[in-house]
Amino acid sequence: MDSSINENPSPTRPRWRKVAYGGMQPGFDDNHTDETFLEAMVMNANVVKRSMLKVMQDSVSISQYLCIVALVVLVWTCTLRSTLNENTLLLLDVSLLGLGFLVLILTAEMMSLNLLFHYFINISFFTTGLYVSAPIYQTLTRSISSDSIWAVTVSLLILHLFLHDYSGSTIRAPGALKNPNLTSCISLNASVVASVFIASRLPSRIQVFAIMLFSLQVFLFAPLVTYCIKKYSFQLHLWFSFGLMVLTLAFVYMLHRLLFVLLLGLLVFVTVVCPYWLIRIQEYKFEINGPWDEAKLCFDITE
Amino acid sequence: MTGRLKVYYIPWKPFLMQNTLPTFYGTLPIMRTILIREKISLVHGHQAFSTLCHEALMHARTMGYKVVFTDHSLYGFADVGSIHMNKVLQFTLADVSQAICVSHTSKENTVLRSGLPPEKVFVIPNAVDTAMFTPAPEKLSHNEIVIIVISRLVYRKGADLLVEVIPEICRLFSNVRFIVGGDGPKRVRLEEMREKNSLQDRVEMLGAVPHARVRSVLISGHIFLNSSLTEAFCIAILEAASCGLLTVSTRVGGVPEVLPDDMIVLAEPDPSDMVRAIRKAISILPKIDPQVMHLRMKKLYNWHDVAKRTEIVYDRALGCSNQNLVDRLSRYLPCGGWAGKLFCLVMIIDFLLWRLLQLWQPTEDIEEVPDFSLPNSECPEFKEDGSLSLR
Repeated sequence: MDSSINENPSPTRPRWRKVAYGGMQPGFDDNHTDETFLEAMVMNANVVKRSMLKVMQDSVSISQYLCIVALVVLVWTCTLRSTLNENTLLLLDVSLLGLGFLVLILTAEMMSLNLLFHYFINISFFTTGLYVSAPIYQTLTRSISSDSIWAVTVSLLILHLFLHDYSGSTIRAPGALKNPNLTSCISLNASVVASVFIASRLPSRIQVFAIMLFSLQVFLFAPLVTYCIKKYSFQLHLWFSFGLMVLTLAFVYMLHRLLFVLLLGLLVFVTVVCPYWLIRIQEYKFEINGPWDEAKLCFDITE
Repeated sequence: MTGRLKVYYIPWKPFLMQNTLPTFYGTLPIMRTILIREKISLVHGHQAFSTLCHEALMHARTMGYKVVFTDHSLYGFADVGSIHMNKVLQFTLADVSQAICVSHTSKENTVLRSGLPPEKVFVIPNAVDTAMFTPAPEKLSHNEIVIIVISRLVYRKGADLLVEVIPEICRLFSNVRFIVGGDGPKRVRLEEMREKNSLQDRVEMLGAVPHARVRSVLISGHIFLNSSLTEAFCIAILEAASCGLLTVSTRVGGVPEVLPDDMIVLAEPDPSDMVRAIRKAISILPKIDPQVMHLRMKKLYNWHDVAKRTEIVYDRALGCSNQNLVDRLSRYLPCGGWAGKLFCLVMIIDFLLWRLLQLWQPTEDIEEVPDFSLPNSECPEFKEDGSLSLR
């Protein structure tokens, strides 16, 4: 029979057992809470202890991308005010393309001539396509007022920054593991639409082509380039980001004082305040695991 | 109905899988009418996912009745759905008189989810009707071993584990046959597995089995396989054991507490470990006597015993002191910074609506059901072995 473990005739009652069969256990109420209650509970098993320095270094990716977007907006403002003319823009485009290619060649582990040729062909197709469709962009928003354009562009850029994938690149680097997820595709599309809206405000066809090429180059390929730099050497990544931040702050200072203060505040918030806040609230983390958890299948279900 | 059990039907339309939309205060008038009409002293609600249960318990507490809640399932903590459901559960259990869980693991889970003090939670397991689940009159031969699976074929019940385990077992043991009863979204995967491995003559798919026919399916087998990924208490295992089958199950939730170690073989929810467990079960199968197992089950599980223990909980609940609204509100405040105040607001509005209803439809106007007793010749009686008989 399954009733008691110890057989001695002394008046001590049998030990309580964590079983459901056999009816009420003699000597114990149904609401008896044993010392073994919650013995198998495991707390915070998968929680990673973070250090302030590492989180600050990781947040540099975010501030670096913020600076890149700030530089793009700067170029847009200068072009719309006619401070930059189309030849300067075209020169800027070509030099950025060249720099990007250089970084890819220097940092890639396996770069064959075939792959390089493949990239070059793609870029040529891309540029030709943009040149041919520049007249469409030029007349696209002629009937919409400028205020709506600025408002939509700003909201799209904010959406782009919110949903951007800061750890990887939506355009897949050679050898990348994961497919891009939905939010990073949405953010990329938002940035492309914002570029189209800005380009449609410009008067001449060459300007439209130059600004579209510039914006698309940066939004599509800058994450790829920074990802390659980060993969190659973390120190180089930190120095590059620092240089970029100083450059951006200098340019914005020359343009507008208030925006400079705002940008500086935002960068300090992202790099210093947010990591501190994250580490402070981590002590409230309470992850519970135990025998009541639904079992996880250790194999993948192939449909 | 039998034994003076009455069922009231509330005409709400279910919108998804037999669930109705939560209406907060919509059920107050009809609940009040039923509780006054039948002269109820205690309200017992079941199942944390039932909106009707939560609303009924809320209204019963407002009207001053004692309340008992039984939780029948395990639930997680980590995703958005779980966090919401646990908050709702915390609201209902903040002011409950007593609570019941069906296994000790379920008690730990409920205490963590709702923040109830453990002394308020009683563990009363479910039982099985051993009179209905009797073993086959003659012992089956062991030339061919039949493994029975009867469950809903869904992810939660481990249908994917079955898809991995069945071909492996059929490959290792040539005298083993499977009978799979039940239906669900994963049935397609099982059929595919059957086609791919050419197991049409070794795996029989029965489709949905009505409850009355479950026993006849069970007694045609030697081993019962349960592969669920989560289970607070598994009545299917009890039914199988009552029919004299040896059980092989995954070690999840409350399953290790349900049967003694010599009536069940446990395995981790991993295909290779389940194959090992089935191999062990096949090797100890000759020592199993279905009649002996059935007699043991009669002593281990008994609905009569469950009713007696539940009555003890009811007596405890009725002995709790009455509390007025202000005392009860202080129990809702610790539920959370925002949640506590929101819950208090919900209860205050419920109280006001109840008072309004009392003015509009006074208690004296509701007709109370008269007490009646059946003539002796129809009175049902419980016998000692837990079976029901009509005299």
